[in-house]
Amino acid sequence: MAAAAASRFLRRAIPAAPIRRLSTSAAVAAETSLSAPSGEDEARVIEMKGVKISGRPLYLDMQATTPVDPRVLDAMIPFYLSRYGNPHSRTHLYGWESEAAVEAARARVAALVAANPKEIFFTSGATESNNISVKGLMRFHRARKRHVIATQTEHKCVLDSCRHLQQEGFEVTYLPVRPDGLVDLDLLADSIRPDTGLVSVMAVNNEIGVVQPLEEIGRICREKGVVFHTDAAQALGKIPIDVEKMGIGLMSLSGHKIYGPKGVGALYVRRRPRVRIEPQMSGGGQERGIRSGTVPTPLVVGMGAACEIAMKEMEYDSRRVSALQDRLLNGIRARLDGVVVNGSLEHRYPGNLNISFAYVEGESLLMGLKEVAVSSGSACTSASLEPSYVLRALGVDEDMAHTSIRFGIGRFTTEAEIDKAVELTVRQVEKLREMSPLYEMVKEGIDIKSIQWAQH
Amino acid sequence: MMASPSRAEVLSLFRSLLRTASKFTDYNIREYSKRRTIDGFRDSSALADPSSVAAAFVDGKFQLEVMKRQVVVYSLYAPDIKSVMEATSP
Repeated sequence: MAAAAASRFLRRAIPAAPIRRLSTSAAVAAETSLSAPSGEDEARVIEMKGVKISGRPLYLDMQATTPVDPRVLDAMIPFYLSRYGNPHSRTHLYGWESEAAVEAARARVAALVAANPKEIFFTSGATESNNISVKGLMRFHRARKRHVIATQTEHKCVLDSCRHLQQEGFEVTYLPVRPDGLVDLDLLADSIRPDTGLVSVMAVNNEIGVVQPLEEIGRICREKGVVFHTDAAQALGKIPIDVEKMGIGLMSLSGHKIYGPKGVGALYVRRRPRVRIEPQMSGGGQERGIRSGTVPTPLVVGMGAACEIAMKEMEYDSRRVSALQDRLLNGIRARLDGVVVNGSLEHRYPGNLNISFAYVEGESLLMGLKEVAVSSGSACTSASLEPSYVLRALGVDEDMAHTSIRFGIGRFTTEAEIDKAVELTVRQVEKLREMSPLYEMVKEGIDIKSIQWAQH
Repeated sequence: MMASPSRAEVLSLFRSLLRTASKFTDYNIREYSKRRTIDGFRDSSALADPSSVAAAFVDGKFQLEVMKRQVVVYSLYAPDIKSVMEATSP
């Protein structure tokens, strides 16, 4: 607080014109510091980026990231304090105890997806795992395999890796999805060619939460002899995953989506039949040469603990998350019309509810909901005003795609938070609709699709 | 295998867990810890097999130790401003 006060004082003290640059940087510093005015507790407000709120917003953005579970943090702390050894040090206790912890974590990750611990490689996150999978596999088989299939609703890092491969001369098929967000299995089977090396389909979509039919996709890939890669960052610990049953060849996992730490992920690479990939990082040959670089023991231990907890708690959590999703959706639907759920409601991870509110502009709604931390879609693209490419791939109309909000429910969400979110959302949507001429016209019975907006 | 805990021991563990859970400074963690304790004991009350009762008791003891440490960690780094869920509404 002293720094903020000092910068405020500085701003007043410095003459405005000549040293403008200095004074703006001080202003930025003052703006981004959370200023709690001295005085009574109830007078405390957060002020950041021009938004004033009376407390930390209730968090409903679990697809962007999840809070760290205290049990996970408890497992990690010793490795930040006295057990700081490099797990690759072979000559002393520090190294041995770290290595033992890393291997225990590997076994926990493997157990959650029914894999062998030798098939799990630690990476920096799902983005890196996706890059190694897509580029590494195709580059290894570049002589015979020239074609990749990925759905249009994949995460940006898969699509961007594919684009990279295209520049190297590979061919990519961006597979369209059905209006409910699911892959058309016949279309997938027809798209596989003799030179197809990889099919990449996300297990649970990050924006709309639909769960793809992994077993069927795995069966098609196995029959045609193509490697099946799935990005399971949003699926791990939330829906049961069995690499054997689902015929998965490569799988990307993330730590911070399952109440673990950020900066760690894992890659599953099948051993039998062996899936071979070319490493994308050169170095000391850690993680059996797949991913060089010192394995971050505390983060890996955290991911292992998160997986162990997820395995124990999956049933309890999913029962709860489903109940909260129903509470949220029913609460909103009971009081608002023109509410559309994007993506299949039946084949869906209930912790992700992507809703469009007709006749409301999404960004205005998000700005109005400052006490609820939600987003319009992926966190990676939340800075842009463009409607989501995932919703467009579903064939959602431009106007509805602009009004989408993603509610992410998790382990630590309470009923009271859901009720408050419903209350605030309904209030804000009603307020915006009251101002909307479109909504008025619809109420009067005019079909807005028939209006000619531009005169040519 | 250790013997089944007595009813008094189970009740005492339950109370300690709840008391510790309510000390979390974070709204979401506190509510979760209380809820999970209550639901966990409710589920375990159906256990009949003495060895699984003993295992559940040992797990509860372990959770209590974790919770005691984490209550301290959370209190050391508690943010100045609480969740809107506990802020007195204007």
